[in-house]
Amino acid sequence: MRIVVLCSNVYSETGCAMAVRMAELGYVPAGALALPTLDRGTVVRKLGQWGARDVIRYASAKLIPHRGDGRAQVSNPYLQPLLIHGEGVFRSLREVAVFYGFPVAVCNDQNAPDSIARLKEWSPDLIIFTGGNILRKQLLEVPRLGVLNVHLGLLPEVRGMSSPEWSLLNHVPVGVTIHYIDAGIDTGPVLQRCEFPDAARCELLSDLRNRLIAFGVEQVAEVVAGLDRGTISASPQSDLDEDHQFFVMHEWLQARAAARLTKRRSVAVAESVNG
Amino acid sequence: MTDSVAASGDNSRDNAITDQIAKALTEATGLLRGPQRVVPLIQRLVSDKLRVTFEQRHLYSYATTKRSSGDALNSLLRWILDAQRPDGGIAAYYSLLSGYSESYPEVTGYIVPTLYDCARTTGDDDAVVAVERATQWLLSLQMPMGAFPAGLHGRLRSGLHGDEKQPSVFNTGQILQGLVRAHVETNRPEILQAAVAAGDWLVKMQHADGSWFGPAAYQNVAHTYYSMVAWALAELSERAANRRHGCSDHEHSLSYGLAAERNLDWVLSHFRPSGWIDGINLRGHPNYLHFIAYALQGVLECGILRQRSDAIEAVAKSSWVLLRKFETNKSLPGAFEPDFKNGQRFTCLTGNAQMSCVWLRLFEVTDDLRYLNAALKMNEMMKPLIPARGGRGVFGGVGGSYPIWGRYQPLRYLSWGNKFFADALLLERRLKRSFEASAFEALPCAS
Repeated sequence: MRIVVLCSNVYSETGCAMAVRMAELGYVPAGALALPTLDRGTVVRKLGQWGARDVIRYASAKLIPHRGDGRAQVSNPYLQPLLIHGEGVFRSLREVAVFYGFPVAVCNDQNAPDSIARLKEWSPDLIIFTGGNILRKQLLEVPRLGVLNVHLGLLPEVRGMSSPEWSLLNHVPVGVTIHYIDAGIDTGPVLQRCEFPDAARCELLSDLRNRLIAFGVEQVAEVVAGLDRGTISASPQSDLDEDHQFFVMHEWLQARAAARLTKRRSVAVAESVNG
Repeated sequence: MTDSVAASGDNSRDNAITDQIAKALTEATGLLRGPQRVVPLIQRLVSDKLRVTFEQRHLYSYATTKRSSGDALNSLLRWILDAQRPDGGIAAYYSLLSGYSESYPEVTGYIVPTLYDCARTTGDDDAVVAVERATQWLLSLQMPMGAFPAGLHGRLRSGLHGDEKQPSVFNTGQILQGLVRAHVETNRPEILQAAVAAGDWLVKMQHADGSWFGPAAYQNVAHTYYSMVAWALAELSERAANRRHGCSDHEHSLSYGLAAERNLDWVLSHFRPSGWIDGINLRGHPNYLHFIAYALQGVLECGILRQRSDAIEAVAKSSWVLLRKFETNKSLPGAFEPDFKNGQRFTCLTGNAQMSCVWLRLFEVTDDLRYLNAALKMNEMMKPLIPARGGRGVFGGVGGSYPIWGRYQPLRYLSWGNKFFADALLLERRLKRSFEASAFEALPCAS
């Protein structure tokens, strides 16, 4: 199975972790295609998503070498088992690529003709999307099987953005879905959907997201192995109308989702104490 | 706000353009009479230019502000109180070129519920005094047949803002809303009498198909945004039904309710499968979001009062199209071509505030949090556009367009914009509280 990983930038922890997990599984990527780190759109998007303080903290962790066991350089603690290795810590996709021996290319647009040409050179069976542009038809047609996405919510119930938060507010179980990307937003055929069993252990939304990302990487590993063995197939989503699309959540509602998470945790703690 | 949209009576595009140019020139001469307005004008032009140039939008973004809703609401209320003219009416607008306009009966009418709600929320007694003065002024304007006049008070010229001597269906409906609320608050019999007279006139003027057209309709044609009149009639019907002092109240209630539903049916027949509403019918003007939102608000509120799920579903469908556009592009175009195509680049702030109200009400009736989410973001986007400094007419004003030179009511702060944004913030506050209460009850308890 020839795999290619798409990343939002070479310092993407999810991208790095996915490449490492695939290599560990025996599918060393045929290549990885990332957007430039200082791409204006990426920087603006990250500033909007994380805020300036977290962007600076993330950048300094990735760019400035630290002493110690490398934990400080991994922002998502649940990806540490994949990103910390015997000789140090993978800070960028380039370091992962050197370690496992696969090429990394940087492009301004993953849909651009030269990016498509590069992908075709790698002749992938499967592309794993961990971030970047909205993918167009020409790119989606490159891999033999399709382009995989990890969606941090259960499909078709929760499509679009802020999925964990919307799941909490709408009383939908928190989980991840591995699906093929098609022309719609999270409307492609589903390969695997799993409820996340540890949601009640999370205190903060950021903690929940971090855990879901790591959980998603593991689910992709299962799916890739299953596809290779021929034991998994995709099922089209049953409900393709727009009713399930969600958009980025306002901070007032996010705070309510966070409160619901905290409440769930306290209920779970109380139940475990009561036996 | 209908009649402030300039257009010549005879409907040719050329005439409309000539009329607009004449209006702009007339208004521009206002700067000569009031040179003190030059600085606020330049300040606003520069600040909007800078904001438009540097604001960043991407899929994950939405505008945020540190300004609290309470602070914004207080400044909106202050603007309205400042806009009250000596006669008791509320000015239609404050122009950065020519200052305050004359009192505007239509807005003075439907701003009454907003003032009562603001007074209750902020505890501002000035609002109660203002609303009582406004109501008294409205009562003095009613024509013998029960109608209220078109246009700005004191402007006799026809065309530009309608003819003051001409009774207006739309204005009568809008004022009726205020009268019904004023009666609820004060129980004064003369207010109910005036409301009933207005309601009777509206029923009498309605055509068999449920629409209003002819001399008392703007440009003589039927408009789907007159669903706002249907809403007012539905409210009057409720009020009359609640009184139930005698047979006549009951009959009145029935006739107002039936008239409201007749119009509702007529408007609903203009909804396209795309969610677009035909029949805005403002010749010589684009389909401003303000009028689309009027149509939606009227149908929704009338549908809620008359328990018409078909009306609520139709509004939900159209509102969802606008919600998706807002969520994807982070703003709503100020005007559209049919089927919500080719949205223009400026934003109509009044329309934004109205859509926020529509989304909030849809959240209230459907429990779909995505409507609340969109409304919170819309209100957040609007707050920084309300001047937190400036003199009377500027401080707390809601511009016609953003940027201020956009096509809808350029270089003006509009009383109806303030009304709708205040409504949106008041609704937001109420629904947040009820959500908190219900969310708390819905959560499982550890004990």
